[in-house]
Amino acid sequence: MLTKITLILSAALVAGATLLAQDAKRTEASLIAVLKAESSQKEKADACRELARVGTREAVPALAALLADDKLNHMARYALEPIQDAAVDEALRAALGQLQGRPLAGAIGSIGVRRDAAAVNPLGGLLASPDADVAQAAARALGAIGNAPAAALLREAVGKASDANRLAFCEGLLRCAEALGAAGQGAEATRIYEQLRSLKGAPHQVQTAALRGAILTRGAQGLPLLRESLASADYLMFAGAVRTSFEIPGPEVTAVLAGSLNGLSTDNQVVVIQALGTRGDAAALPALYGAARAGAKPARTAAIRAVGELAQPASATALVDLLADTDRDIAQAAQESLASLRGPIVDEAIMGMLTGDNASLKLVAIDLTSRRRMTTAVPALLKAGKDNDAKVRAAALRRAGELAGTSEIPALTDFLMGAGSGPDLEAAEQALSAVCRRASEPGPIAEKLAGLMAGAAPAQKGALLRLLGTLGGPVALKAVRAAVADSNAEVRASALRALGDWKTADAAPDLLALAKAAANPTDRELCLRSYVDLARNPDLPANQRLSMCREVAALVQSKGEKRLLLSALGSVPSLEAVALIGPYLGDAETKEEASAATATVAEQLLKNKAPAQTAAGLVEPLQKAAQATGNADLAKRIQEALKQAQNRAAKK
Amino acid sequence: MRQHVFASSVRTPAKSPLPPLAAPASVRVNRRHFLKRAALAAGVAAAPSLIPGTALGRDGKAPPSERIVMAGLGIGGRGSGVLGWMLPEPDVQFVAICDAKKAQREKVKQTIDSRYGNQDCKMYPDIREFLAARTDIDGVLIATGDRWHALAATWAMRSGKDVYSEKPSSMTIAEGQKVVETARRYGRVYQTGTQRLSEANFTFANELLRLGYLGKVHTVRAHIAPWDAAEMSHAWLAGEPEPPKEEVDWDQWLGPCPWRPYNAAYVRGGWRGHYDFHTSCIGEWGAHTFAQCQVAIGAADTSAIEYQYVKNDSGDGMVTQFGNGIRMILNRGGWEGSARGWKGSCGVCYEGTEGWVSVADGYSKPEVSNPAWMGDFTRIVRDYIERTRRPMSHVRDLFDCIKSRRQTIATPVMMHRSMSTVHAANICMWLKRDMKFDPVKEEFIGDAEANRLRSRAMRAPYSF
Repeated sequence: MLTKITLILSAALVAGATLLAQDAKRTEASLIAVLKAESSQKEKADACRELARVGTREAVPALAALLADDKLNHMARYALEPIQDAAVDEALRAALGQLQGRPLAGAIGSIGVRRDAAAVNPLGGLLASPDADVAQAAARALGAIGNAPAAALLREAVGKASDANRLAFCEGLLRCAEALGAAGQGAEATRIYEQLRSLKGAPHQVQTAALRGAILTRGAQGLPLLRESLASADYLMFAGAVRTSFEIPGPEVTAVLAGSLNGLSTDNQVVVIQALGTRGDAAALPALYGAARAGAKPARTAAIRAVGELAQPASATALVDLLADTDRDIAQAAQESLASLRGPIVDEAIMGMLTGDNASLKLVAIDLTSRRRMTTAVPALLKAGKDNDAKVRAAALRRAGELAGTSEIPALTDFLMGAGSGPDLEAAEQALSAVCRRASEPGPIAEKLAGLMAGAAPAQKGALLRLLGTLGGPVALKAVRAAVADSNAEVRASALRALGDWKTADAAPDLLALAKAAANPTDRELCLRSYVDLARNPDLPANQRLSMCREVAALVQSKGEKRLLLSALGSVPSLEAVALIGPYLGDAETKEEASAATATVAEQLLKNKAPAQTAAGLVEPLQKAAQATGNADLAKRIQEALKQAQNRAAKK
Repeated sequence: MRQHVFASSVRTPAKSPLPPLAAPASVRVNRRHFLKRAALAAGVAAAPSLIPGTALGRDGKAPPSERIVMAGLGIGGRGSGVLGWMLPEPDVQFVAICDAKKAQREKVKQTIDSRYGNQDCKMYPDIREFLAARTDIDGVLIATGDRWHALAATWAMRSGKDVYSEKPSSMTIAEGQKVVETARRYGRVYQTGTQRLSEANFTFANELLRLGYLGKVHTVRAHIAPWDAAEMSHAWLAGEPEPPKEEVDWDQWLGPCPWRPYNAAYVRGGWRGHYDFHTSCIGEWGAHTFAQCQVAIGAADTSAIEYQYVKNDSGDGMVTQFGNGIRMILNRGGWEGSARGWKGSCGVCYEGTEGWVSVADGYSKPEVSNPAWMGDFTRIVRDYIERTRRPMSHVRDLFDCIKSRRQTIATPVMMHRSMSTVHAANICMWLKRDMKFDPVKEEFIGDAEANRLRSRAMRAPYSF
């Protein structure tokens, strides 16, 4: 049902475009008329809601008349509060003497939102109201107004406030102090903060808020108070001071924080050190280096992490020194922080470790080159790939693979071809594999690797075949196909596995042919399984997968092979697949898998809104499957599908 | 003792229907002792490799004096999920539930009590009485309806409590400002429920952007809920007899919102889609996704400056522009010219000159333009954790910060600024015109009507 308000607005608004002045005036007049008429509460509330958007001083009298209304006083304020006109302030002020209870507390709140300085004195009088809601609202509103007279009233009243009201009065004073501080009246703000700091019974959050204000308002003169509070035995004051330090940028506060460290317990040191890191001032570094080198372990670790957080390249040297610390945790923390630093100085320090003599530091440097994605380190990593230390060689090659581009393929293949066997070969293959996976143009790399096959030893051939499988494509497939006929059994097995793992259907004809011709049962099974895996690939068209299943159906012999085929057929949503499954429903070895496959295909077809004719074709196979299965859950599924198929078929 | 610090300083309810309450013996704590011990625990948070978790207490469970004492405010379906994440934390003890609905109070009490094997969880129907009475509580989990989030957070922080607030954490721009102001004034720890800032997939996406994998980022996309509309209802459901106040306190349930007659559908969750209670399909997921995007592009402390109105009912396709030149586009699902879209909820997508990354809930891994980047996933997330000391657990981040007094990953400013973008996008849709916003003055430029929608008068006594 359209309300009066909807009708008024739809008459005045064209698709929500800005109201023209004349339309706006007419709309406002209509809304005011709703307020004055014998309208329902809902209609008047809606009118207030709209006046909040379009109302002017013209609407104020009608709205003000509702400020004492039990049901509509809030909606009247809802409309009045955003109207930027002094008439609203006058109306709200005038209402103060006439309202009580919630309407009064609400009007006070709106005065606060509007920051009506002329209301300070009447609000001051309400601080003594026996109605706690009213007194508290007055205190908060005075705080929102936040001028010196408001502050004076609150300062006078806060000491006498009841327990129930004290928090609101403190809130009012804190608001005043902030406003006065922002208005350049820092001295007055400071007096308020000091009064709150010494206020008997002030809750802890007020004490710390007052401390914060007292420090911030004083500016540079607040530093002694910050220093004193950092040394406080009262943890709340200490933590409040640390928290305040986040709000004051600059080296002076950094110096105060750093200077406090020596006198603190380890617990408090950790908190200050973390603050030094979070504040982001590099001036903290000398103190953090000191804390990182000596002291209690939690503080040392925190300092090392803070150094990393400050992310200054010049910290690299200090962190590199800490890598040699006898405490593994400290060295590890240094390594983590070093990883987060950026810049050429840091790269230089890491390169220094990588090209130095210390194997442990080399390993750290190798890890850091990868974590920092230092592509400039690839030549050095390749050089380290020939290190005397086997661990260094393997780590360097692996990381080189993570960072290298295709231009480094020749260097990496040299490693592969010269690696013999064991960890060096594995590392070289892993490096090349990483580069191959990232290659945007695998063809030329496949050419290069295929060209190496002829001169490679069996172990290298195995690695090359796996890499060709990673690359894929016709060149790689040709090379793998050729290797299937290799005289060496190890190479043949690698080629078969590469073919079996092929990512596209291009390998399917080879796999099928090999399965048909294989003399070795293991090879035959590998080829069959790989072929069926390809047939299950949902990215291939259903027809192609069905055709592949037909091809392989004649080959399957063992129970395992039959089940494999059924799993592939179950993934092809077509009646032909159901027909191919059919014979297996009568086979004791496969009836359960065949029933499940029939159910799956049927469910898929029915879900995809199979036409009536297709549904009809499902009925008999499903009935057979229902008879074949001994599994109660599966039988339930089949019956459900059967019911759907019968219903659908009946609709033709 | 902490009790002593608070006892004479807080508002005592004038007409409490409840007998005087003392904190349960198991949770009475010495505040100073707790916080001093917490400093050490902060060291633990910073350096997990140094001090084993078991050092916090026997069997990995912190002794009562070192636990963070928590309470729930308005815990329904969503809140129960968050409670389920918080309860297993060994250094946390929930001791109270405050809810305007009796059935919900009892249900949550049962959950908490069965977790601890006792009957200690106290129930409170009135939030003001609860805040005044329970001065022993360190933090609150706020999972009321959206209309209460900012006000409850502000009241709780003013009462000296740290806050976890469900999203959307403000209903208007003015509400967000109050949350920021209060957290800053009282030095409270606050976290908004943008959990994806603490999830590996989303973190990886943000880090790809920060580390330059994507090149120069020009566009980010933020998922908005694919149901409901930007325009919301002002209608009232048919009035029904109000239940007794002890069953459902309807006045408190409404809180700062305009009065309307009771209907059970509202309290069962049917408040969504109503202007007074909800922030539309844009706020429903935008509270998460705008925050993700703004953090990613370094705009967590500002808001979008331009909003282009789109002629549909949801805001789908709205282009917003940030001061750094990056545009954020609101999308309900897929977008024109791309097969990409999200296959889960609350997705974001970042697009740069060198590639893109897209992620949403339920992804086993983010989608990326260059699959090789996924090889760096573990390393990038691990480095992020090391660099920022942020765990991949939102609730753990909150509790670590309650101890160390550090800002959480989801700060009041981040909440307020991303929600300001939500509110401005809504206002753009409601007024059906393009908008320009000054993020310093926090006002619309040359649009007085839009500026009026930045705040709503609150119903007494439920105000800031």
